[in-house]
This record gives sequence, structure tokens and C-alpha cells, in this order.
Amino acid sequence: MLPADCSRRLVAELRDALDACAERQQQLERSLRVSRRLLRTWEPVETPAAEPAPGPETNEEVPSPACTPSRQELKELELLTQALEKAVRVRKGMSKARERHEALSLKSGDAATSATTASAPSRASSQVWSRASETKPPRGAHQTTVPARGLPEGRLPSVGDRTRMARGARATKPGPGLRDQQIPPSAAPQAPEAFTLKEKGILLKLPMAYRKAASQNSRLWAQFSSTQTSDSRDAATTAKTQFLQKMKMMSGWPGSGLSAAEVEAEVGLLRKACSLLRWQMEEELSADPADWMQEYHCLLTLEGLQAITGQCLHRVQELRAAVAGQQLRPWPEGRCPRASMPCEGRTDSSWSPQLLLYSSTKELQTLAALRLRVAMLEQQIHLEKVLMAELFPLVSTRDPQGPSWLVLCRAVHSLLCEGGERFLTILQDEPAD
Amino acid sequence: MGRRRLRGHRGDAVGALPEAIAALSQTLPAGPSPEIFRRAKFDRPEAAPALWQLLFRVLSPLPADGASASRASPASPALEAQVHLVKSALRSQGYPRRALAQLPEDGSQGSRELLLALAWLLARGPLLEQLLAQTRVRLGDEIPLCECETLASAGPLPPRREADGPVDIRHLQWLMGKLRFQWRKLITSQQEQCALLGKIHSYTRGCHSDRSLGHLSVAETELFRDPEGGRQLLQRLESENVRLEAALVWRRQELVFWKWMDTVLGACPLEASQPTLLPRTPTVGASELELVARELQALHEELRGAAEPRRVAWEARAGGRGPERTAVQRASQEAVGRELAALQRAWEQGEALAQPHGPRRLVKRDAGASGGPGLRAAELIGVLRSRETCLEAVLGRLQTRCWQELTRLAGARPGLLWILPPGR
Repeated sequence: MLPADCSRRLVAELRDALDACAERQQQLERSLRVSRRLLRTWEPVETPAAEPAPGPETNEEVPSPACTPSRQELKELELLTQALEKAVRVRKGMSKARERHEALSLKSGDAATSATTASAPSRASSQVWSRASETKPPRGAHQTTVPARGLPEGRLPSVGDRTRMARGARATKPGPGLRDQQIPPSAAPQAPEAFTLKEKGILLKLPMAYRKAASQNSRLWAQFSSTQTSDSRDAATTAKTQFLQKMKMMSGWPGSGLSAAEVEAEVGLLRKACSLLRWQMEEELSADPADWMQEYHCLLTLEGLQAITGQCLHRVQELRAAVAGQQLRPWPEGRCPRASMPCEGRTDSSWSPQLLLYSSTKELQTLAALRLRVAMLEQQIHLEKVLMAELFPLVSTRDPQGPSWLVLCRAVHSLLCEGGERFLTILQDEPAD
Repeated sequence: MGRRRLRGHRGDAVGALPEAIAALSQTLPAGPSPEIFRRAKFDRPEAAPALWQLLFRVLSPLPADGASASRASPASPALEAQVHLVKSALRSQGYPRRALAQLPEDGSQGSRELLLALAWLLARGPLLEQLLAQTRVRLGDEIPLCECETLASAGPLPPRREADGPVDIRHLQWLMGKLRFQWRKLITSQQEQCALLGKIHSYTRGCHSDRSLGHLSVAETELFRDPEGGRQLLQRLESENVRLEAALVWRRQELVFWKWMDTVLGACPLEASQPTLLPRTPTVGASELELVARELQALHEELRGAAEPRRVAWEARAGGRGPERTAVQRASQEAVGRELAALQRAWEQGEALAQPHGPRRLVKRDAGASGGPGLRAAELIGVLRSRETCLEAVLGRLQTRCWQELTRLAGARPGLLWILPPGR
């Protein structure tokens, strides 16, 4: 068992780390849910922007795709294609029926003719067509039940014909005969294809109201974040400084000025200083001086580093005094809100609409993974330091002959030297005799 | 336009102050009516509750809009709790006026003190900018570049959960294992999210009216799927635009406000200079301070251990010094002085940790496409990689130090064989 206060501190640190992780996970799950839903099929709302919108920023200027038909057009096309395909089937069915020596009587028959006469050149975009032609017509028993009459003798439509016919038919209106014709249930017009972002995402067009608000928003943010100064801004800055000074002069608190937030910022600076100093020291110690000049340089640097570290330690003393003497009170809930912490070395937190450009999913994944890796390493380093500070005193004060000492050593080694992933083995080396 | 110019001519007279105050209260989250500010100048009690609530909102920012939707806008705590929180938050930020701390906890009084506190917060830093940035409507897909953003968007922390009693070290190992597992899960989910984003971006390419963006973001695509959500988004966007416009007006007019605040401060009695003794409780900063103090102490010892023998050896060898040698030594001293000063600047001004900062909208652009403003992912990857290498080295050094320390401690019990696990 670890001592109570040590347990309390370490468990709190680890739980903080876990909470931070869980929060990230939650945020991520939320956006994953939304993204997954968008990539499944769904029915988009008919936005006003589906009609061609006026203005300089309409979609027509975008180079790809060259020509995008509206949803209405697409629906019509689909219906038309189905009708035409049916006509082709009717022909085929006819030919088969003939092979069976015309066993059945024929009723209506102008459908096929209307299809063959329609042979005007294609005008609509081939993109739309290729999609429509992919939908396979259901094949069924109606081949024999809907025969056709008046088909030109001996001419059966080939696959090529079928395409040509259908393509041509798009230019003309379907003949009345095609509609009046009695259609068996299986050939009834299908419901329009379900919407998927993959196939039709490109047709989406943002509503006008949104476009206006969004462009105004980014303009305002840009204006707001621009750091240009003016005379009135300078005057306001002076006025604010004077106000703060006057307020401090009139206040009743003793003026030994460090707040809890400032202490925290100072501690952050010291932490940064410490890691830089250590890094510099290790650089110096690993270098191999070639001559007496370099040797002297190294000596001076080490002494200088020692002096700076001494200054930092002095600052620590001052901060300790400030913490102790000022009756600083923490937040009632125990911790300050994180939002008030500025990023290291940065004070501006204003947002301006800037872009991060990526070229492929792979690149985005690399970026995101690296960002998490850096965050994880930062957390690991912090935890390592906390654990070192708490666990080493325990190892050195417990009795090495006691039963729990080896267990503790092994756990400490795993936590501190192996990131908790591996364990070492300890063997009792019994004397041979 | 014409009216504004007219007011400008009149200067500080009648129109400008109400305009400045109105702009301020429009910019603040749930800002009270300008009338409240006027009453607060005369310390009228009816203005107090609104100002406590305002300060509460300002000092404990709500989580960003993305999160608030699912958290179903947490109910504000009772006024008394808000008063308590405002007082201690101001204290921890170093607010100088004692009168505020002495106000009754029921929130019924002190409107002038509260007005002063608000002005203090405004004068001290970019408060409005921070507040606007925190509640900003996110239209684009973003990847936070810096840890401060991940943390800031999370809102207030839940109270810290500590262990009830002593725990076994195996419990720590278990928690560590759990942590590793969570990171792995996080990385997997993040990869999936990137893949989905890439799909959505390429399926909607060319759909955005803003050609520098090109494709839609998730939020924008959602507009088509969920019309009700879309209406809400539009509403939030429009109200943010109103706030931004008000903030711009405030910037032009704020000088008048500060002159007015001077008269408010002038109306306050001078506080007697005597410290009140509050119960002393350890701060969060204190334990962090001790941690860094210990590190610095260890470093100081190591440096002394390295420098002292070198100095002794140097003095022993350098018996007779020629004038030429002294000159070289002086040059060395100056060079080292410069290097160390640069090192000190590095942490004081944060030069060493230059890292791109601030949220950015993700835009997919083909590798061959011509540039345009914006940070390239490849650049950022480079920065992150060097940061990763640096952190790995730091962690590696710490682990080596731990191993050395453990070997030293193990010397207390000879006759043991320590077999390291494979893979190191």
C-alpha cells in the first residue's frame, strides 16, 4: 500500500489525465456520429437554392462539373429512361414470342415505334446519362404478356441500338402511346434513387440566407481580428492603463502584487526554463572539447547555467513566499477554469478565419495522429515527473529487506522506465555453496 | 452613416456614452440592458443581481457551441453560488478591491463594485475578444493545433476526484494501462474521423459559394439533412454577426466609457489599507511549484557536480597566463554571456516553442492546385514531427534518469539479478 497522501495525489493526477482523454473521446464520438450519418443515405431538404440563384457567386463558375442538371430534371430523366427501357424489353419479348411461333395475341403496339423514331442527337450531359443507364430493369414474366405489334420485320434491337435509342429519346417528349400503354406492376416507375453524398453531394447548393450570413461573418471576424491601431484605440489603451493604476492606488489590499493566476504563469515559465537549462547542460556534457579554448567555453557555460539555475531557485523562494503570505484562495470547486489559461507565450486568443490546407486523407490522418502523439507525450512527461517525485522517496525510505520492497521496485521500474508496458525480472542470486 | 458623424462632432456629449454602453452590453454574453449600467453608477441595489449574473457568465465561460448542444445548456447555479464563484475567481486573478469581497453573499447589493470589477476585467486584457472567440459559431471543420484550444473549449472542470484512502501501487498501474488504452482508442477514432472528413470534402467539392473554400464542411452539409438544425445555426450565426458589429462599435467608442468609469471610480470612497485575514488553503499552484522547485534543485546539484571539478582542473593547469591567453579568455566569456542571455530570452519570450496556434478551417485542396492563403498541412506536419522528436528525447532522458536512480537504490540490496524486459 502507498501512503494515503501520496495515493491521493497520484490517483488524482492519473484521473485528471483519464478525464482529459475521455473528454476528447466524447468530442470525437459526437463528430463521428454526425459524419457517419451524412455518409449514409438520407433525403436532403429542398432548399431554395435548388433553383438557380442570382448573384456573382453562383455555382456556374466552378469548373467541375461542367454542367449540373437540377434535381427536377434528373427525376424526369429517370422516369423517361425507365419507360424507354421497357420499350426495349417489349421489343425483345416480341422477338422471343415470334420464335415461339406467335402463340399469343397482340393488343397494343405503338410503343416500340415511338421509341425508334426518336433518334435526335443527345443534348444532355453524359454524366447524368451514364448513371441512369446503370439502373438495371427488372426482368420478369411480362416479356410474354406484353407483346408488340407493327415492329419492322426482321429487325431486332441490339445492345448498341438500345443505348442509341434511349439516348435519342431524351431529346423528345415521350409519346402519349407510351403512357397510355398498360404497364404491368413490375415495370411501374421506381421511386427516385436514394440520396447519397457520394453520388449526389456535388449537387448541393448552400441556401442564400446562409451564404450571406457566412460571408458577412468571415468579413466581420477579419475586421475584428485585424490589429490595426488608430488614435482613438491608443487613447483608449492609455485610459485603461490609467484606470487600472488608479484602482490599485485606491484599493485596500496590501500591494504585494501576485495573484494565483500570476503564480501559475510564473511556475509555467520556470518549468520551461528548467527543461531548457537541462537540455543545454546535457549538450555541454556530451560534447568532447578538442582544445583548451573549448574546454574553457564549456566550463564557463556550465558555471553560467549553474548561476541561472540559482536565480530560478531564488524566484521559487519568492513565489513560495507569495503563495504563503497572500492567502490566495483557489476556486470553490478546487480548480481554476482552464479557459483562463493562456497558451504558453501567447496572449492573443482572438479568432480569425484562417485555413489549413491538406491534399489527401492520408496527409490529414498523419497530421491528426501526430497532434495526438505530441499531446500524449506531453502528458506522459508530466506524469513521469509527478511519479518520480512521489515514488522515489518511497523506494529509498522503505526497508530493502522488507517483503514489499522488491514488489515496489519492480512496479516503479515498470511505471517509470517502461511506460508501464513491460516488467523486469528480479532473481535472487543464491551463493553457490 | 450621417448620424454617426453627427455624434462624432458632439464628442463626449449626450449620444456617445449610451452608444458605447449599448455596444458593450450587446457584445457581452447575455449582456444586461444599458440602463443597468447607469443605475450601477449610483450603486442602486436593483442592478446588482443582473451584474452578478453577467460577471458569472464572463468568468465561467460556457463550453463551445459544438459541445453545448449535447449537454443541453446546463442550468445556471443559484445566485448565491454565482456570487461565491465570482468573488473567488476575481480574487485568484488578483482583483485589488476589498469592498467586493465584503459584499453580502445573497447578491442583493454592490452594483457599483460590480461595475468596477467588470471594467477592471475589460481594462486588463482582451476580454471581449476572448469571449467572442469562445462562443464562436463553428462553420468549418477544424483540428485544434495547440493544446490550449482543446482545453479551452471544454468549459469548466468537474471537481477533482481523489482517492478515498491509500491505494496499492497496482492500482496506479491499472490506471496507467487504462490511460494507454484510451489513447489508442482515441487515435483510432481520430483516424476514422479524418477518413470521413476527407470523403465529405471530396463528395461536396465545388459546392461552396466561397471559392477559396471549395467544398462544404460537415456543419454545412448538415444544413441539408437537418433543416431545423440549419435554422438554428443560421440564427446563431446572425446573432454572432450582431455581436461582432457591436464589438466594432465598442472599439470606436470605448474611450468615452473609460472617461465615464473614471467618474464612477471617483465616486467611491478610498479603501482603508488593512489586510483582512482569510482562511489559508493550499493552492493548486503550490504543488506545481514544489514539483518544479525539486527539478531545479536537482539540476543545480548536477551542474555543481559537473562544473566544480572542471574548475579545479582548469585552475591547476593554467598556472602561468600570458596576455594573449587572457584576451582569448575574455572573448570566451563574452561569447558565453551572449549565448546564455539568448537561452534566457528563449523561455521568457517563448521563442523556442513557436508553434502554429489558433483554430483553422480544414480545406481539402489537390496537391497540384495553385496556392492561396492558408497554412499547409505538410508544414505543420514538419513542425509537429520536430516537436515529437524533442519530446521523445525528453521522455527518454527522464526514463534513463529513473533507471540510474533505481540501480543506485538497488545497491542497498546486493545479491539480486535484475533482468530487463526484452525490447529495450
